[in-house]
Amino acid sequence: MKTCLAICAIAFLPGVASAQDVTQNIVNDHILPRFDVLAETGQTLEETALADCSATSEPLRAAFGTAFDAWVSVSHLRFGPTETDDRAFALAFWPDSRGATPRTLATLIRTKDPITQSADAYADMSIAARGFYAMEFLLYDATISTFGDDEYRCKLVQTVTADIAKLTQDIATDWQNSYAGLLTNPSPDGPYRSDLEAKQELFKALTTGLQLTSDARLGRPLGSFDRSHPTRAEAWRSGRSARHVALSLESLRDLATHLAQHDPPLQAELNAAFARAQTQLAAVDDPAFAGVANPQSRIKIEAIRSRVEEIRAIVRNALGSSLGVVSGFNALDGD
Amino acid sequence: MKSSLLAGTVLCLSSAMPALAIEKADVLVNYANMAAAKYTDSLITARTMQAAINDLVANPSAENLQAAKDAWLAARVPYQQTEVFRFGNAIVDDWEGKVNAWPLDEGLIDYVDASYGGLSDENAAAALNVIANVSFTLGGETIDASSITPALLADTLQEADGVEANVATGYHAIEFLLWGQDLNGHGAGAGNRPWTDYAASDACTNGNCNRRGEYLIAATNLLVSDLEWMVAQWTDGGAARAAVTADQDAGIAAILTGLGSLSYGETAGERMRLGVMLNEPEEEHSCFADNTHNDHFYNGLGIQSVYHGTYTRIDGSVVLGPSLSDLVAETDPALDMEMQMKLSHAVTALSRIKTAAEAGFAYDMMLERGNDAGAALIMGGVNGLIDQTRSIERVIAVLGVDGIAIEGSDSLDDPEAVFQ
Repeated sequence: MKTCLAICAIAFLPGVASAQDVTQNIVNDHILPRFDVLAETGQTLEETALADCSATSEPLRAAFGTAFDAWVSVSHLRFGPTETDDRAFALAFWPDSRGATPRTLATLIRTKDPITQSADAYADMSIAARGFYAMEFLLYDATISTFGDDEYRCKLVQTVTADIAKLTQDIATDWQNSYAGLLTNPSPDGPYRSDLEAKQELFKALTTGLQLTSDARLGRPLGSFDRSHPTRAEAWRSGRSARHVALSLESLRDLATHLAQHDPPLQAELNAAFARAQTQLAAVDDPAFAGVANPQSRIKIEAIRSRVEEIRAIVRNALGSSLGVVSGFNALDGD
Repeated sequence: MKSSLLAGTVLCLSSAMPALAIEKADVLVNYANMAAAKYTDSLITARTMQAAINDLVANPSAENLQAAKDAWLAARVPYQQTEVFRFGNAIVDDWEGKVNAWPLDEGLIDYVDASYGGLSDENAAAALNVIANVSFTLGGETIDASSITPALLADTLQEADGVEANVATGYHAIEFLLWGQDLNGHGAGAGNRPWTDYAASDACTNGNCNRRGEYLIAATNLLVSDLEWMVAQWTDGGAARAAVTADQDAGIAAILTGLGSLSYGETAGERMRLGVMLNEPEEEHSCFADNTHNDHFYNGLGIQSVYHGTYTRIDGSVVLGPSLSDLVAETDPALDMEMQMKLSHAVTALSRIKTAAEAGFAYDMMLERGNDAGAALIMGGVNGLIDQTRSIERVIAVLGVDGIAIEGSDSLDDPEAVFQ
């Protein structure tokens, strides 16, 4: 088998090598380092919460922010290890259009549900009360962060962070031990039958990430001109909404430029389009996107969304065909 | 057994012969014929339900309420099989919210239990109770609801205040008016609205029985007229038929968009997996009637039906013609077999949920925290649907129809739309 691979590689050196390089480079430069950071910061978050579980603890809030940053930076990589056992859903249940997170947390605290005794038991808990968005309520929501019994809430914070640490570690381990190999060495029996299918997965990660940032991170608070929804902004309680858009654009730009590495003019076009979006975002001083309700500030946030849509258009019209992949389906299809 | 297998092989081979080349145009015509038949069946069963509901309101009784419920359940059978036409066909997708919007804040329509809660952060009209109020304020405007008409439901209440959970029309609004809230939590049992909610004068329970009847009839009439409109879109000369047959590659892409989007994002994701992960009985698609197992099953059957190009109508007659399966088999027989196998696996997994539910293991019980058997049943369906989506993507690649699919029906395809 090995000999055959070697011969094939020699015989088709230019095409095969460059195609597999794209996947290999993305795994090594883009995916693995980011999931390692997520696991490390998840671990630190758990340790910090063990030392001080109070909602106003500055070290805890800082560790939460760092780990949440790491999550947002991988939030477009929704395939393989993140989907095993619903890990990513458990880390990041959002948007929560029916208010399940505050309702579920309040019920836990009010009934002093013993499920918080260990992270293992907590793995059975509703995703509404797990992960980063539940933690945000526990640290920053005026009602939930002070609700009920302090001791119980402290244990809850420690269990949620321990659960986050375990989930992020499991994802990183799976990537290291098996999934990186499955993605870079396609086989007829594996999840990817050809390098083209592997590249399609990465391309879909890019399109899905852009869609999430445009439709949810920006689109949800923007609503319509007549009816904006500032409290639908992502993580507005901790003032992280704009930061999440910035982090996601940074990650998506890295992925997009890797995917376009074989096509320098397209790569330059993508770089320029991302730079426009990032520059405009940096000029908006509105961390929680509260300005969506005000016509003057709203237009700036709308403009960022337009820039993201421009990136989406380039990706849809040029990058897919340049890679020779089809766009496929994602979890955001449907309503 | 062997001989029948052999016969099958021969058939497969013969259908792949060049002399019998499959024309995309014929596949599209058969697709439109199936849509016309499914929507016509939906209309026929909705009219039967309309007659039963008229009887219930004219002569309220336990028997007449049950007859109306039975008619609603029957009407769902063909309708759920049409959902595969939704994504990919803008005419269907733009219209669908009127007839099948979900989930709903039912407190908008009628009385609810105290546990329902009041207005929410997301929806100020969540507990409006139109049936109990002849006049109310909505989005700053005073609304005269002294007469409950189809126009009031469709033009004023539906998606009131820009909130999608304000569902005033369609199957699920009617379902709520027939069954009432399911207050059994994770326990067995559906909503248990008393027939006396429609009774006259002193026998009337929970107040406003006349207005409740008025609302139920208005919502039902609206559903019937909406279905009449959709049937017309798919008959000869109809706009949906014209749209899907106008450009062959775009038409095939529309079929595939419908198959993939309903499989993955909608049924496997939004409707099934989320409920398991949230352990939330309110996440049931038909939470009042406890009919969710059928919603998912008939979605799966509808997807399979479109791929095979065949639909068995409610009178037993069969619509059959050139199919996507034939088209794929011509280019890549192995992929066609893979697709058929995966569709069959998914339908089988969905039928396991259905049979367990019909034997008493209600869908809300499956959703309960720690119910591993229930979670495994539902995830079996989810995994089957996700798995078939991967093969649908392969079909798109093999047929070379990517890049033609409509990205979605919202205006965001136009980067500057947000400024308009």
